[in-house]
Amino acid sequence: MSSNHVSPVPLVDIFRQYSKGFLTNVFTSFYWSHMDVRCRYRRSIIGPFWETINMLVMIMGMSFVSSAIFGVKMMGILPYLGLGIIFWSVISTSINEGSGCFIGNSDLIKNSNLGIGNFVGRTVFRIYITAAHHTLIYVIGLIFLDININMITLLAIPGILLLFLNSLWVVPTLALICARYRDLEMIVKNLVMLSFFVTPIFWNSDVVRSNRRFIVDYNPFYYYLEIVRAPLLGEIPDLKVYIVVIFLTLFGYLLLTVTYSRMRPNLAFYV
Amino acid sequence: MTHVKLTNINVEIPIYDANALRLFKRRATKDKSKVGSGSFSTAGVLSVQALRNINLEVNDGERLALIGHNGAGKTTLLRFIAGVYPKGEGIRDILGDVHLYGSASSINPDGTGYENILLAMRLNGLDKSLEPKIRKDVEEFTELGEFLNMPMRTYSAGMSARLNFAIATLKTPSILLIDEGIGAGDKNFADKVEKRVKEFTDRAKIIVMASHSGDFLKKMCNRAAVLRRGSIEFVGDVEEALEYYDRSL
Repeated sequence: MSSNHVSPVPLVDIFRQYSKGFLTNVFTSFYWSHMDVRCRYRRSIIGPFWETINMLVMIMGMSFVSSAIFGVKMMGILPYLGLGIIFWSVISTSINEGSGCFIGNSDLIKNSNLGIGNFVGRTVFRIYITAAHHTLIYVIGLIFLDININMITLLAIPGILLLFLNSLWVVPTLALICARYRDLEMIVKNLVMLSFFVTPIFWNSDVVRSNRRFIVDYNPFYYYLEIVRAPLLGEIPDLKVYIVVIFLTLFGYLLLTVTYSRMRPNLAFYV
Repeated sequence: MTHVKLTNINVEIPIYDANALRLFKRRATKDKSKVGSGSFSTAGVLSVQALRNINLEVNDGERLALIGHNGAGKTTLLRFIAGVYPKGEGIRDILGDVHLYGSASSINPDGTGYENILLAMRLNGLDKSLEPKIRKDVEEFTELGEFLNMPMRTYSAGMSARLNFAIATLKTPSILLIDEGIGAGDKNFADKVEKRVKEFTDRAKIIVMASHSGDFLKKMCNRAAVLRRGSIEFVGDVEEALEYYDRSL
C-alpha cells in the first residue's frame, strides 16, 4: 500500500527551515500574542496585572505556610520563594500551553498555509508578555525586602534568554507530540504538577537529606530555575548550572529536530 | 511563469483514534466499509483514501473550477496543492506563490476591525508601509465606517462577513486557491463581492476554486475538473463539466 504519511523531511534542512521560519515571523507572532493579551483583558481596568496580583497572593500564602513548616522567618524566604514561583510559572505554562498549541490552532493549520512558527511564537510570546508584568513583584520586593542587587544581578539576562530559548523548543516539540498522542497532554500536565513539589521552589535545596539529593541533582527544573533565580538574589549560579542548562538546550533542539522531521509533514493529519 | 503540476498523487488520511495507541493490538482487520472512496486499516490506523491517482496540470492564465459532491476530495485537493498535506510518492511541482483561502481565519472577535486587519496583513507577510493603503481599501469596500474601531464581537453577521471577506482578499498571490464560501453574504453585498473577486482574480495568475454554485463558477472559471470519490473523472470546459456532473448524480 502506497503510504503518504511517513515521509520525513531531510534532517539537514530542518533546523535552518525552522529557525528561518521563526525569525521571519518574529514580529508577526509578537503582534499576534500581544493582541491576544490585549483582547483578553480589554474590559478589565488593570488587565494582565490581575495575573500579577494572583501571583503575589500565591507567593505570600506559600511563604507564610512554608516559613511555618521549615521554621524560618517569612521575610527571609520571601525573595527566594517569590522568584521561584514566578519563573516556575513561566516554565510550567511553556509546557502546559505548548502541549495544546497546535491542537488549539487546528483550523488554521488545516485551512491556511501559515507556517507553524507563527503558532509557536504566538504561544511563547504570550507567556513571556504575561510574565513581564511580574517584574512589578520584583520591584516591590526590592523596595521592601533585603535583596542584594549588584553587578551579578545582570547575569539574570543571559539566564532569561536561555529560558526563552528553551521555551522555543519545548513548545513546538510538545505541540507536535501531543497533537499525535492525545493522552500525553494529560500526562504532561500531571507531571508538571508533580514537578512543582519535587523542585526546590517553596523549599530550599539545602534542607534535603543527603540520601535524597537526587531529587535536586537530577531535576532539570532545578537548573532552569537556578540560572535566573540566583542572579536576581545577588548570587552567582554554579558553573554546573550553566553547563547543565546549555547541555539540556542543545539536547532539546536535537529532540525538536528529530520530532519535527518525523511529525511536521503529517501535522495536518493529527489535528 | 506559474504552474501547478501534480503527477500520481495519492492522499490517504489516517484516522487516529484511541485504538491506534494500544500496546497490545488485535490483528489489524481489513475494513472494507465504504467511506469516501474506500477505507482500509494498516497497523490499527484506519485510513481514508481522499485522493486517488490525481494527475493535473494548471498553467498560467487558467481558472480551474473543482466540481464534485460533498466528500469528493475538493478541499483535500486544494489543501494538497497548498502544501498542507505531505507529498508522499507522487510529484508536486508548483511554481509560484500559493495562497489558500479556506474556512478558517485568524480573526479574534475581541479585537477591533482595524486590529484584525493589521493582524491579517502581518500574517500575509504584507509590508507595514502598505498599511494606509490597505486601510483605505478595506474602509471603502466594507463601508463599516466607525464600526472598524469597535470589537468584532459587536458586529452583525453581515458586517462580519464583509470584513471577513475583505481580510481574506488582502493579498494577491500568483496561485490562488479558494475553498467554497466565497461569494456568500447578503444580497446587496453580493454584487460588490463579485466585483472584488473579479478584480482579485484578474491579478492572480492561476486560480483553483471549489464551489457548489454553478453560476458563480461559470462566471469565474475557464476550465473545470469533476471529482468523484477522490479521482478526477472529467477535465474540460466548465459548461460541459457541469453537465457531466449533473448527469452523473
